[in-house]
Amino acid sequence: MDRLDWAVLAAYMVAIVAFGVWAGRGNQRIDEFFLAGRRMRWWAVGLSVMATQISAITFVGTTGQAYTDGMRFLVFYFGLPFAMVVLCVTVVPFFYRARVFTAYEYLEKRFDLRTRTLTSLLFLFGRGLSVGVTLYAPSLVMSVILGWGETTTILLMGGSTIVYVIYGGNRSVIWTDVVQMAIIWFGIFLCFGVAIAQLPSHFGLRDALALAQTTGRLKVMDPSPSLTAPYTLWSGLVGGFFIMLSYFGCDQSQVQRYLAGSSLTQSRLSLLFNAFLKVPMQFLILLTGVLVFVFYHFHTPPLLWNAVEMRRLEAAAPPELPAVRARYEAALLARTEAAQAFSRGGRPAAAAYLAASQEVDAARKQAIVLVETVNGGKRYNDTNYIFPSYVLANLPSGLAGLVIAVIFAAAMSTLSGEFNSLATATMIDFYKRFVRSGGSDAHDLLVSRILTALWGGFACLVALQAGRFGSAIETVNRFGSYVYGPILGIFALAVLTPAASARGAFWGGLAGEAVVCWLVLRSPVHFLWYTLIGAAAVFVIGLAISATTPRAAGA
Amino acid sequence: MEATGRPPSPDDDDPVPIFGTWRGIYTAVVVCALLVMGLVALFSAWPY
Repeated sequence: MDRLDWAVLAAYMVAIVAFGVWAGRGNQRIDEFFLAGRRMRWWAVGLSVMATQISAITFVGTTGQAYTDGMRFLVFYFGLPFAMVVLCVTVVPFFYRARVFTAYEYLEKRFDLRTRTLTSLLFLFGRGLSVGVTLYAPSLVMSVILGWGETTTILLMGGSTIVYVIYGGNRSVIWTDVVQMAIIWFGIFLCFGVAIAQLPSHFGLRDALALAQTTGRLKVMDPSPSLTAPYTLWSGLVGGFFIMLSYFGCDQSQVQRYLAGSSLTQSRLSLLFNAFLKVPMQFLILLTGVLVFVFYHFHTPPLLWNAVEMRRLEAAAPPELPAVRARYEAALLARTEAAQAFSRGGRPAAAAYLAASQEVDAARKQAIVLVETVNGGKRYNDTNYIFPSYVLANLPSGLAGLVIAVIFAAAMSTLSGEFNSLATATMIDFYKRFVRSGGSDAHDLLVSRILTALWGGFACLVALQAGRFGSAIETVNRFGSYVYGPILGIFALAVLTPAASARGAFWGGLAGEAVVCWLVLRSPVHFLWYTLIGAAAVFVIGLAISATTPRAAGA
Repeated sequence: MEATGRPPSPDDDDPVPIFGTWRGIYTAVVVCALLVMGLVALFSAWPY
């Protein structure tokens, strides 16, 4: 990064915090702090919903995944538009008309206090554990890319977000999300355009797509019925549908965004806005990753994308390293020549190109084995470093800083929604329910801000310690899928059938969580299916218990 | 159950935009989603 890039990044950080504080001024009551006074328009809420979902690691991770593996990940979003329609028909009107602050508050009206408390606890447990990782993962990547310490990037991202969320609450979250989403969209189009513009003059977009197709990177639809294969059409459509139902319908970090709509119509439109735009947006992000892959056929990619690990490997100087490096460079040269031949009219060269491409992969695998050996067997994966490395090395001065700011924006927009929702669930479902229900507006606002600070501080603390947890991080990062199923099942019982009793919902929820734990620990089923299976278990067991419970006793 | 500082009852009678009915909007969303999936499949399989 040169001076102009640093200036752009610094200007973004200062401007977004200042804007967040300005946008959130004037909160007097907790409905203003947590629900932005219920005065927001659909487009602002819709952009905030989108910004909360797209985290920094989604942005850099999916481009990297497209580079290494292709666009299959797109199917994960195929169920989203259908889930949005179902939510607009079912839970959104229930939440809106029930006049609730949290999704779980509604469950006390429908069932009882213990079901509300159980569900809110599941949310706090799942979201609370993952928020630290949401902060740690991009901070780690940025620390390597920018050459800063992890502590610096964690405190910069987390601290700046905490400042404006504490001050302005949900109104700050939504308005900063709008600005951040505009920056993210601009960054996506910019990277996509630059990736196309930087292809060699004799190698057009059509050639680039043909080359990517030869390696299988354009393949999206895998019709395999397997429950264990990752990202099949059915796991995306069916499993993804239930994940999206649960995430947008039962996760407070999303529910709180659309409860801020000025009317039920505005809340519904904010979700449908995402139904239209989410898949095309992810498509563009993934295609950018594929184009970066093609770009590196004509420019030299590093042996390892993580520069810190590369320096560590060079310092350790294993005797095999020179041979691996020579093999890699020779393979790259052969791949470039094969790609040149693979221009329009030269498609028969596909077999030669594939052989050259496999040799590049084999050489890189050797290097990865060396890194893992030097690091005492610790697993090495540099997928998340590909896109930021490409941006810093190839984008013009100023624009590179802007795209790094986009990655910060993606991280901060997710964190802000999570801090705000964790504080809301703690305040409404626990403090005001069990500790002090009749506090003054000033008291409630003060406690809400303290809770926001505590959750923000907790996230920073977890992120600062996360490096010590090693591979456990990946497990924690997927924790959402462990609790989403039971939460969705309880809400399905609440909304879909009058036959469900409070006892059925509570014990069905616990039984469903046990089923998901069994799936995680004892089965090879892919995590995209956990939500569906967990929700189905809660629904069936909950209904069965309800059927054996007299209405008066259970409801 | 009732927390302090509850806002006045929101207006949920905003007119439904574009199609005039929610059913029309939901149908448009589903049709668009299927269309996008079809285009993605076409994009994947296109003989470049």
